[in-house]
Amino acid sequence: MNRQVGSRFVAGHPPYAKLRCGLMLSVVALSIACQPQEAVVDSGQQAAAQAASTAGPANGAIARTAAGVPQLDGVWQAMSSANWDLEPHAARQGASEVLGAIAAVPPGLGVVEGGRIPYLPDALEQRDQNFANRRTEDPEAKCFRPGIPRATYMPQPFQIFQTDSEIFIAYQYAISSRSIYMQDHIDAPVDSWMGWSNGRWEGDTLVVEVTGLNGQTWLDRAGNFASANARVTERYTPEGQNHMWYEATIDDPTVFERPWTLSLMLHRVMDQPNPELLEFKCVEFAEELMYGHLSKAAVQSEGGTGNE
Amino acid sequence: MKTTYGILIVGALALVSVGVRAHHAFATEFDVERPVELTGIVSKVEMINPHSWIHIDVTEAGGATTTWMIEGGSPNALYRQGITKNSVPLGAELFVFGYQARDGGMRAVGRTITFSDGRALFFSGTQVPDEVD
Amino acid sequence: MSNRSLAGAIGVLAAGALLVSAQLVAQSSDSEIPRTAAGKPNFQGHWSSATVTPLQRPQELADKEFFTPEEFAEYEAGRLVVTETEANTAGDVHYQLVDFGLDRSQNDRAVNLRTSIITAPADGRIPSTTPEAQAIAAERRAYSQEHAYDSASNRPLAERCITWGHNGAPMTPVGYNSNNQIIQTGDHLVFVQEMMQEPRIIPLDGRDRISAEIPQWFGSSRGHWEGDTIVVETTNYTGLTNRNITPTGKVTERFTMTGPDTVLYQFTVDDPKVWTSTWSGEYSMSRTEGPMFEYACHEGNYGLPNILSGIRAEEAAGLR
Repeated sequence: MNRQVGSRFVAGHPPYAKLRCGLMLSVVALSIACQPQEAVVDSGQQAAAQAASTAGPANGAIARTAAGVPQLDGVWQAMSSANWDLEPHAARQGASEVLGAIAAVPPGLGVVEGGRIPYLPDALEQRDQNFANRRTEDPEAKCFRPGIPRATYMPQPFQIFQTDSEIFIAYQYAISSRSIYMQDHIDAPVDSWMGWSNGRWEGDTLVVEVTGLNGQTWLDRAGNFASANARVTERYTPEGQNHMWYEATIDDPTVFERPWTLSLMLHRVMDQPNPELLEFKCVEFAEELMYGHLSKAAVQSEGGTGNE
Repeated sequence: MKTTYGILIVGALALVSVGVRAHHAFATEFDVERPVELTGIVSKVEMINPHSWIHIDVTEAGGATTTWMIEGGSPNALYRQGITKNSVPLGAELFVFGYQARDGGMRAVGRTITFSDGRALFFSGTQVPDEVD
Repeated sequence: MSNRSLAGAIGVLAAGALLVSAQLVAQSSDSEIPRTAAGKPNFQGHWSSATVTPLQRPQELADKEFFTPEEFAEYEAGRLVVTETEANTAGDVHYQLVDFGLDRSQNDRAVNLRTSIITAPADGRIPSTTPEAQAIAAERRAYSQEHAYDSASNRPLAERCITWGHNGAPMTPVGYNSNNQIIQTGDHLVFVQEMMQEPRIIPLDGRDRISAEIPQWFGSSRGHWEGDTIVVETTNYTGLTNRNITPTGKVTERFTMTGPDTVLYQFTVDDPKVWTSTWSGEYSMSRTEGPMFEYACHEGNYGLPNILSGIRAEEAAGLR
C-alpha cells in the first residue's frame, strides 16, 4: 500500500491566538510587528527593540540565561535565497521545467562576502559539474542531511534548545539535528553528515567550530560544496530579541584559495504564539528519484534487468 | 584457536523488537548459495550506518584486480569503544568469508572478517571470552 | 567449549553484576537526583535502554510477573549466549554482531526482574486486536505478498530507513545501539533515540495541540509535570507504522527518575480501533556515557537498492 503520509490530508489552519499589532517606522522599512498577548515584553518595548535592532547592534532587550549569555531558545528561520544559490544570481530556470515557475530559482543579492566563492580551478570545475547534475545529485533532492552551514539556511525552520552543557539544534528538514558541545571539548572522533560542533561564547556571540564533516553535502542547490577537510566556524549574534546575525566561515584549502565567509539574518518564527517544528521526513518523497529505476515497472518497461 | 562465534539466536531477538538486526533481511540482499572467500587489500573504509562497508581490492589469479564491498555492522558501538575508521588501516590485508550479492555484483556480507594474523577485525577486550574456567 | 559452560560462566558474572547493581540502587536516594534551578528533576543526559527483557512475556510463563534473582541470572545468561550458525544456511548470511560490539553482552543493561516489559494485560502480552484491525492487517498482508519487491515504497519502513519498530511513543528497547539522549530546558523535553536519531520535541508549556489534520510518523506530543514525573500524551498517529496506532489512538508516557542514574519509563497504549483493551508497560533506563553518535540511516542505505537490484536480477533470470 503506497499511501504517503501527509499527501492526502488537508493542512489545517493554525490556531491563531489574539495578536496585538503595532505599526512601526524603522530606519529601513515600514513594517507591522505583531506579538501574542501573553508575551512578557509589551508591544511598545517590542517595537522599540525591533526598531533599534535594524538600526544597530544588539541591545538589552535580549533574553539571557542565569549565566548572563543570550538565551537563544526558540524557532528560527532564514528568509534568504542562500539555499538556492549562495552567490549573486539572476532568476533562472529550475532544475526541472516540469514544475514551471514553481521550481524556478528566485534572484539573490548573494550572501558571500566579497561576492564569489574563491574556488581553486579544479574545484570550480567540480562545482560546475555539480550544477549540471543538480536535479539528481543535489543531496537535498535525496533527502540527505544538509550539513553545516546549509542546515541553517534551508527553507524550513529549526529550533534551538540551550543548556549549559550543550546547545541542541533540531532542524525540520529531514529531522536533522546536532549537538553543540559547550564543555569538555574533544576533536571530532568520527566523520558525520552534520559534523562535530564545539561551541563557546565570545561576548554575546555564540562561536561554533565544526569539523568532522563528511564532505558529501552541498552548500546550496547550485552545486557549491566543500570537502571533508573543511573547518566551518559559525557565529550567531543576536540583534534584539527576534533577529540573529549568522556568519559561517569555511576554511578548506583543498577546495578554496582562502577561507571565505557567508552571512545572513535569521528570523525568529512568530506566526503563532507557540511555534513548533512539524515533521518533514522526506525519504518517501525521494525514493522515486533515487530508486525508481530499480522498480519492477521501470525495469519491465525497459525490457531489461535494470542492471545493464 | 578461537571459537567460531555465531549470531545470537533469532527467537530471542525477535521478542524484543522488530528492529534488532532487521534493518533489512540479509538473506534477500545476499545469496546463501554464493559463498565467497576473499583475500584483499583495504582500499576504502565506510564507517556508516545502517551498515559499515569495507572496500577491498582482490587480485585474481590472472593478475586483474577487482574491488569488493564487504558489508558489516553499525559502527556506533565501535565508536563508543574508541575505535575509528583509522583502526582499519588502508593497505591492510583482510581475509573475508561471506556470501555474495544476489545480483552478482562485487559485494558480500562479511560473515567473518580477519586480519592475516587471524585477529578478528574489531576484536575488543570486552568480547565474550572463548574460554571461561 | 560448550554453550552450557559458557552460559554458566555468564550466569555467575551476571548474578554478580546484579548484586552490585542492586546495592547501587539501594544506596541512591531522592536527594541525589540532579535537579534544575527550578527544583525539578533533571533528566538531561545519556541513557541506555538495553535489556534482555522481552516486550511480551513468553507464553509458557503465563501470569508470572517477576523472576527471582536466581531465575533472572539464568534467564539472562541464556539470552546472552551466542550460538553457532551452520555454514551455507540462511541464518549464516549475516555479519557477526560480536565483532562490531553489537551483541547484548557488550551493552549497559539496567536490572529488571520483570518477565516482560508489558505489565498489563495480566499475561504480559499485547491484547488481541479488533475485527476491524484484523481486516486491515489481512488486506495489507495480502497486498504485500503480491507486491513485496515491486519498488522501494513496497519495502518495510525499517528497510527504507523511514521508521523502526521501536521508534516513537511507546519507545521500546532495541537489540543494539539502544541508547537515548535527553535534553531538558525550562519548557521542553527533547528525547532522541540513537536509531534513527530523530528528536521527539515535547513542549511542557501547556500549549494547544496541533490540528488532527496533521498526522505524523512520530505523532505529536504534549507533556506536563505531575510532581517529579513528566507525563507525555501523544496523538496524531498515521496508522501506517508497524506499531499500528491509528489517528484515534493515544499513548501516555511517564518519565520518573528513581535515582540519580535511573529513569523509570512507563507507557499506556489506548487505541480501541486496534486493540480490545489498553496495554501498558515499563522498563528502566540506566545512565550511560555520551556522546551519542550520528545514525544517518537513509544516507548510508546501500541495502535497499541492493535488495531491489538482486530481485530484478532474479526476475530477469526467471528465478522469481
